Amino acid sequence: MALQIQKTFQVNEPLEKVWSFLSDPRKVAACVPGAQITEQVDEKTYKGAISVKVGPSVTDYKGEVQIVRLDSQNHEIEILGKGQDVRGRGSASMKMTGKLRALDSGGTEVTSTSELNVIGMLAQMGSRVISEVSNIMFGEFVKNFQARLAQPEGAADAAAQAAPAKPISATSVAWQAAKGVFRRDS
Amino acid sequence: MITKTTPEVGGMGHPIKRKEDARFLQGKGNYVDDVHLPGMVYGHMVRSPYAHARLKSINTEKAKQLPGVLAIITGEDLAKANLAWMPTLFFDKQMVLATGKVLFQAQEVAFVVAEDQYTAADAAELVEVEYEELPVLVDPYKATDPDAPILREDREEKSNHIFHWEVGDRAATEKDFQNAAVKATVHAISQRCHPAPLETCGCVADYNKATEKLTIYLTSQAPHAHRTLFSIVGGIPEQNIRVISPDIGGGFGNKVPIYPGYVCAVVASLTLGVPVKWIETRSENLQSTGFARDYHMTAEIAADENGKVKALRVKTLADHGAFNAAAQPTKFPAGLFSVCTGSYDFANSFCEVDGVYTNKAPGGIAYRCSFRITEAAYLIERAIDVLAAQLKMDPAEFRRKNFIQPDQFPYKTPLGWTYDSGNYEGAMNKALEMVGYKELRKEQEEKRKKGELMGIGISSFTEAVGAGPAHTFDIAGIKMFDSAEIRVHPTGKAICRMGTKSQGQGHETTYAQIVAQELGIPASDVIIEEGDTDTAPYGLGTYASRSTPTSGAATAMAARKIRDKAKKIAAHLLECSEEDLEWETGKFFVKGAPSKSKTIQEIAFAAYTNFPEGLEAGLEAVNYYDPPNLTFPFGTYICVTDIDKGTGEIKVRRFVAVDDCGNVINPMIVEGQIHGGLTEGLAIAFMQMIGYDENGNVQGGTFMDYLIPTAVETPHWETGSTCTPSPHHPFGAKGVGESPNVGSPAAFVNSVVDALSHLGVKHIDMPITPWKVWNILKEKGVVS
Repeated sequence: MALQIQKTFQVNEPLEKVWSFLSDPRKVAACVPGAQITEQVDEKTYKGAISVKVGPSVTDYKGEVQIVRLDSQNHEIEILGKGQDVRGRGSASMKMTGKLRALDSGGTEVTSTSELNVIGMLAQMGSRVISEVSNIMFGEFVKNFQARLAQPEGAADAAAQAAPAKPISATSVAWQAAKGVFRRDS
Repeated sequence: MITKTTPEVGGMGHPIKRKEDARFLQGKGNYVDDVHLPGMVYGHMVRSPYAHARLKSINTEKAKQLPGVLAIITGEDLAKANLAWMPTLFFDKQMVLATGKVLFQAQEVAFVVAEDQYTAADAAELVEVEYEELPVLVDPYKATDPDAPILREDREEKSNHIFHWEVGDRAATEKDFQNAAVKATVHAISQRCHPAPLETCGCVADYNKATEKLTIYLTSQAPHAHRTLFSIVGGIPEQNIRVISPDIGGGFGNKVPIYPGYVCAVVASLTLGVPVKWIETRSENLQSTGFARDYHMTAEIAADENGKVKALRVKTLADHGAFNAAAQPTKFPAGLFSVCTGSYDFANSFCEVDGVYTNKAPGGIAYRCSFRITEAAYLIERAIDVLAAQLKMDPAEFRRKNFIQPDQFPYKTPLGWTYDSGNYEGAMNKALEMVGYKELRKEQEEKRKKGELMGIGISSFTEAVGAGPAHTFDIAGIKMFDSAEIRVHPTGKAICRMGTKSQGQGHETTYAQIVAQELGIPASDVIIEEGDTDTAPYGLGTYASRSTPTSGAATAMAARKIRDKAKKIAAHLLECSEEDLEWETGKFFVKGAPSKSKTIQEIAFAAYTNFPEGLEAGLEAVNYYDPPNLTFPFGTYICVTDIDKGTGEIKVRRFVAVDDCGNVINPMIVEGQIHGGLTEGLAIAFMQMIGYDENGNVQGGTFMDYLIPTAVETPHWETGSTCTPSPHHPFGAKGVGESPNVGSPAAFVNSVVDALSHLGVKHIDMPITPWKVWNILKEKGVVS
């Protein structure tokens, strides 16, 4: 099941600070609910894991994150993540493009375009559930991103190291996804 | 004509209440999941999340450590016993548990056995399977592309093409098309759907190591055939296998195949020596067991300038999924699809079908129809409407012009079938009259002027049921006869056993009525038993509306044998010769002296107490009936719909169903069958599809996505009948259970297309959802 998600949000920090944060997969991963970078393979490749729980179904993806393109000039990054569920219940891949734009206010606008491809039991739930789950996860991500960005350099790093990856709350995601299904204005 | 018995006897034509309903209505039915045996343990299936992937490893260590887990079976384990693959019912084989690779999502990978079903399910979660994803083939049209992945590495032929089958006169048909004044074409998809019986599939396998006897409680529409297959495939002596099909909660063809779960439960019971229960979940049933249809069809009709049809040409692509697990007993790869000339008098026809493999669940099965006849009826009834619209002729008048006429029966079709009897125009006239066709057309015209959308759809289908004559039909070589055994007790009551198996059809009532009709023993005094292979005579089971045409016929023939013997006993009791006796329902009397008579009950008592010298005691008979031909029920259905322009919602305002199934055993049961089949047809036309995304993920794998019609969606059904008996059936019956499912989809679709025809709409593929209609209305500029 393929899904395209485009999101734009703003942060108060200046472009260069945001860029140094965004171009470090370890820092970005720490903002993704349930995600964790476990190992750096080379300059552009990392190993990681993410746990997604929808209703009764827990999927623990383990895989690789790769920086496909890093354009410091235009402040664009393209990341490819691929993972398989450790219990063999499916796989997922995501190609994400992030682009930054400086705002007049001194802050930064972040535009991300993601192509998500899910295979397995999770994909059977169809786009109506997956896109809602993605929306909720993205909302969490933005919150974490803004909070961590606002922290002083060292603290954010320490937090990224210390915070254990926890699966995002099962019931809250499922319930919010269910609500999303009926929330036709979204 | 059938002589009508008194209501007390309850012979043919009496709407007596279903005997089986007393226990069902009290919740006292006994289904497979109600079977609880001492020491019973439970199985749970580990399934593939991928549609196509190589199996790299299976790690069962963590699962085995869970307390309560007894065994975990993998494909490699089965391979050691040569059981990793099993034959399908149509000259292919399928994996029981995957070895090497998986070929569809939800394919069976490992079988976990534990002390309770919760532990089994938890342990299944702990089985770690490593896969390597392979390119997925979903679109059947891409199956034979040069760059398509080859799915079946086990086959010698390195191709996804399964079969090419053709029938008819290609050259003569071609010539008719060259000379035709008018030609019409329709491309119609009979989408992948699923019978979704409310009881899912399952079994309890109980191997007794001391007696070496294996008893299998099974959701089986064909218990005897399954016993033989278990014996042949598993190498277990057939006398040591007993298959018991208890009450079955709907089958519709879904319970004809043998599924991997059954085989795994049997293997587990043989290994552990305890009873093993395996019951599917709803999603497992929808995602892995026998689907139906998935026929991608093109029909072309050639006709003269007056609208008289000449030739029919059909080209079809059949998507069978990962294995050709077609559950059908004909000798033809596309079953009865060549009945596609339908109710119309074509001079020539040519039909070809190609089957292909894709990364989808294997099948297909005949969902409430004789194999592929629903597809055939849908296609021809759609094509006829397309041609009528093209000629700007009224679809009813166009049908009238082209129907096979009553005096043409027995009618040989250009594709080789011989229809037994029919009066198609008669049934259509009745339906037109019931619905008030002329007035409806007027109303439609007026509504169109006001911009309102209303449609009238007709389907004048011909069914072919009662598989079947031994020359055309068999399962693994076993001919498609069926059987009945009647034992009359000394007190004049009877027990009968048949080789068929009711799944809700009401056999316990209708077979008893046949005995009542033939012997005069009240239906209430007759017990019907089916489904236990240790007691019932051998038979091929219930599907394809075959029970009445085969076991029903066998019941009448066995009863007539009993009557012959009863006559000898009556002559002995009345001290006259057999020639002097005459039969009247329930008794023999001396010609010219009606007071000198013996009732069947008196004769039954004498059969055990006072029988003539030289005659065996008892009053029993058995018959194995091999029908000389199929029977061909027919009818006309008319559907009237109103479409809401704002939402695209289709409302069925009226639905008139006139059926002709020959002589009727129980009109109330027939009506119930028609209501049920029409409701399923409605769901197929408007609601249901087992879809797949581009990665082979099932998109109709739960009741959230695969919609079951409820009372809210179901309109009021108006039924009527005509009666054209089958000339070759012992009591002129034809079978009816499947007609409404076969005949109705075209009526629904024709009605919606008719409502939109003035906008230039010629065809819409099923399921016609409000979303689809709304998009068409947008495209045509009806709504903005």
